[in-house]
Amino acid sequence: MGFLAPWFLGGLAALGVPVFVHLLRRHITTPRPVSSLMFFEKGIQSSTRHHKLRYLLLFALRSALILLLVLAFANPFVRRAAAGANDRLLLIVLDNSFSMRAGTRFADAKQQALSTLAAKPHGQKAQIMALGGQLEVLTQPITDDTQLRAALESVQPGDGHANFGDLGRAIRTLSETNPAPIDLHLFSDMQRSAMPANFADMVFPSAVKLVLHPVAKGAAEPNWTVESIDAPAQLQDPKDPKRSKVDAVIAGFNTPAATKSVSLLVNGKVIATRKVDVPANGRATVNFAPLSIEYGFNRCEVRIEGGDAFPADDAGVFSVRRSDPERVLFVHAGNDTRSPLYFGAALGAAAQSSFILQSVAAEQSTDLDPSKFAFVVLSDTVTLPSIFEHTLAQYIAKGGSVLIALGTSAAHHEKIPIWDAAVKDARDYARTGAPATMGQVDFSFPALAQADPGRDNGGWADIKIFYSVVVDPGQARVAARLTDGTPLLLDKQIGEGHVLLLTTGLDNLTNDLPLHPLFVAFVDQTARYLSGNERLSGSRPVDSYVQLRAGTEAAGSAGSVEVIDPDGKRPLSLSEARTMQSYRLDRAGFYQIRFANGRDAVIGVNPDRRESDLEPMAPDVQQLWSGSSTGAGQLTAAAAPVASNKQPFSLWWYVMLLAMVVILAETALASNYMGTQREDI
Amino acid sequence: MDQRFLDPSVLAGISSLDLLAKTVVDGFVAGLHRSPDFGFSQEFAEYRAYSPGDDLRHIDWNLFARTERMYLKRYRGETNSQLTILLDASNSMQYTSGPPAKMDYARFIAASLFYLAIKNQRDAAGLIVFDDEVREYIRPSTRVGQLSRLFAGLERAEPHARTNFANPLRHFQNFLHRRGIAIIISDFYEDPETIVHTIEPLRYQGHEVVLFHILDPQEIRPVMKGSAIVVDLETDQKIEVVPDYVKTTYRAKVDAHIEELRTRTLAAGMDYQLLVTDQPLDESLRRYLTLREAGN
Repeated sequence: MGFLAPWFLGGLAALGVPVFVHLLRRHITTPRPVSSLMFFEKGIQSSTRHHKLRYLLLFALRSALILLLVLAFANPFVRRAAAGANDRLLLIVLDNSFSMRAGTRFADAKQQALSTLAAKPHGQKAQIMALGGQLEVLTQPITDDTQLRAALESVQPGDGHANFGDLGRAIRTLSETNPAPIDLHLFSDMQRSAMPANFADMVFPSAVKLVLHPVAKGAAEPNWTVESIDAPAQLQDPKDPKRSKVDAVIAGFNTPAATKSVSLLVNGKVIATRKVDVPANGRATVNFAPLSIEYGFNRCEVRIEGGDAFPADDAGVFSVRRSDPERVLFVHAGNDTRSPLYFGAALGAAAQSSFILQSVAAEQSTDLDPSKFAFVVLSDTVTLPSIFEHTLAQYIAKGGSVLIALGTSAAHHEKIPIWDAAVKDARDYARTGAPATMGQVDFSFPALAQADPGRDNGGWADIKIFYSVVVDPGQARVAARLTDGTPLLLDKQIGEGHVLLLTTGLDNLTNDLPLHPLFVAFVDQTARYLSGNERLSGSRPVDSYVQLRAGTEAAGSAGSVEVIDPDGKRPLSLSEARTMQSYRLDRAGFYQIRFANGRDAVIGVNPDRRESDLEPMAPDVQQLWSGSSTGAGQLTAAAAPVASNKQPFSLWWYVMLLAMVVILAETALASNYMGTQREDI
Repeated sequence: MDQRFLDPSVLAGISSLDLLAKTVVDGFVAGLHRSPDFGFSQEFAEYRAYSPGDDLRHIDWNLFARTERMYLKRYRGETNSQLTILLDASNSMQYTSGPPAKMDYARFIAASLFYLAIKNQRDAAGLIVFDDEVREYIRPSTRVGQLSRLFAGLERAEPHARTNFANPLRHFQNFLHRRGIAIIISDFYEDPETIVHTIEPLRYQGHEVVLFHILDPQEIRPVMKGSAIVVDLETDQKIEVVPDYVKTTYRAKVDAHIEELRTRTLAAGMDYQLLVTDQPLDESLRRYLTLREAGN
């Protein structure tokens, strides 16, 4: 036993106060006068004894109170034996990431985990987790061996990418909520690529003892993989030499220089095979052109022939949708000929464009059906035929998209059609002599996306805006603002569709955007965003999410979605199909999805290629990791120092509790005593 | 009756005994009804038609001369009595648990009785102040200035020494020659038998004797929450007592003492009145008037 704050023991000098009050100070009792003692009798012995007893009791209580308060501040503690074996939580984490499919890694790891579980004392609590693309908690801390074993048996190799940083964060959270010390047994191939960028992310708290069970023995075996595939998601003309091609990068890990045979399969048929020389531990690109595919969705695969130590990663899948070019309806004011010219030219110049622009004056749009178009552009058309406006609203609600550009006509009308908001003001920067420039650009917005915008704001800094309309953003997302804060590009979700609002025009009168090369990229990205074709095909990595329906839609108000996984099964229940907003693509292969707005998609899903690098962590790094929490390495972890078994246990709370009881007793006794004093006087 | 002017706690605020006595008596008298008994003294009351057998001396002949009808003049009954108050001025009388003290209360009573006797009843009034001896004697008189002398005597009656009934009462008999009313005001901390035995000779002499037993409420029902040391005001003797005793045995003893004193007093043909210092003074005045009526 000891004191964590022994200098507070100096407060024991306060014990002199009750000693003075009760023992040193003379008690002065004022006699109570009476007329005569004729009727009184002496009761000296009993009352004196009563007084003395009470005074001594009060003295003892007061002394005890001061003693306890001083002790509470001094914070006494006792060394208590640390939790025994049965008090420790056995946490078994089994790595089921994609790389565990290599060889017998997963089977070995599961076998070892089962052995560890079997060796567990019967009364000890244990918990099972699986570390794949996400850390799955399979059981709560329980002692039921059967349930624990069943949970461990149920773990199957997945296609996700393990990250030891995620494991570290999860265990730190678990350690905060679970006061018991944890014995963490990690069964993994200890891939180096699973390490986070910062080693501190994978360090565990001191209460966690990490025991590593690496299943990858020896040096990593040679492994070739399809690292990336560059293929069009949508194709109109297979004979188009610019777009009808597939570029695949073949990468080797721990491999000698070799000539690999790579095949392109479309819908299960090999349509081309190429030989490629892959340097040692290097990469090589193989090209397939032209891409001969049929109309509709084509399930394509690039496969490395010959096999290696990890055949599961020898193929990469993607889907290509072949369709005729889609039409875009461009509605403009009757006297406006510049806007369709600029927009059409930009749309045609876009490298990945597959749209045909159909421009029409607003007055002639009455009988048009927007659903036949990929998306609709309203260029400075503040008045639309009511029939067309109604049709357009229904088109948006069902998933259609519209781009509205506001020119100088907008200022003369209060309300913007479709957008459902009023025009607050119009800014004519030309009159002030200083055109506005772009202030903020949200480069995460799909229509403005740029990987590296640079110091010139992605080229937007050079754009001069002469005229802009001020609109209250409301619930809309503001993707770009001018330097004076005026929103320039807004995006609003209406029903299943999107409406994009550009508060300036598409001609060169209200701004000089059409004169810049940036305009082509903007139109191309906007067209792809609004048409929504990007998400209907192509490829995605495992554990990416697909948005199944609009977030603003009320649950159950629209049709259900349908997801068919690579095994041909429907993973969603009926209720999930009606309510689920997004879906995680957790398996490699082709997913077939029918969205809530009725559009179909086939998406190829590939494992994270970092899983193909089978190189394990260096032994010293493993040693450092396993010793990071306990201060000792894995090998010495079993023989933990004896001293650490005793932990200080603070007693201040109990001392304070006792002091509270003494305070109450002292108060009751003292008040009784004070009552007697008043009587005497 | 205006009880406010008879409340001891109110009277304790009045410093002048003269004013106090006037306040008490006026307040008391204002609430009294006239006596229904008629006499033939000097105070005219009413006329009554003559009926055979009536004393002819009382016929108003002047009225007969005017009306030729015979009427008898009736007068309010009126006699002269002698009031002597024997006031105990021992130390025990200074006890108080709150104003007024027993001595003050006794003074209030004595002053009120003197005022009532001299001003209202035209009785002779005298005062004997005693403790273990007779300390002051003012002989009963109706002379001018008697009331002032009596009040001055009351003012001088400060408590000291012990009570001893035997000694002073021997002298009482020497002082009280003419029959009258003798009122003894004391807390009577003495054996009832001794008290009655000592006072009884006054009764034998034909006096109407009244014992006004003055006690403080705390003396009858004392409240004591814890053990305490009590000190006798007369002997300075101290003893420690416990609450249980005070709550039970003491109260029983006091009650028995009061009851025995009352019984023995009444048995000896004297009157007894227990006066508690938190009660109004009118009871003592009423008792005096009652005695006066009975004695005449």
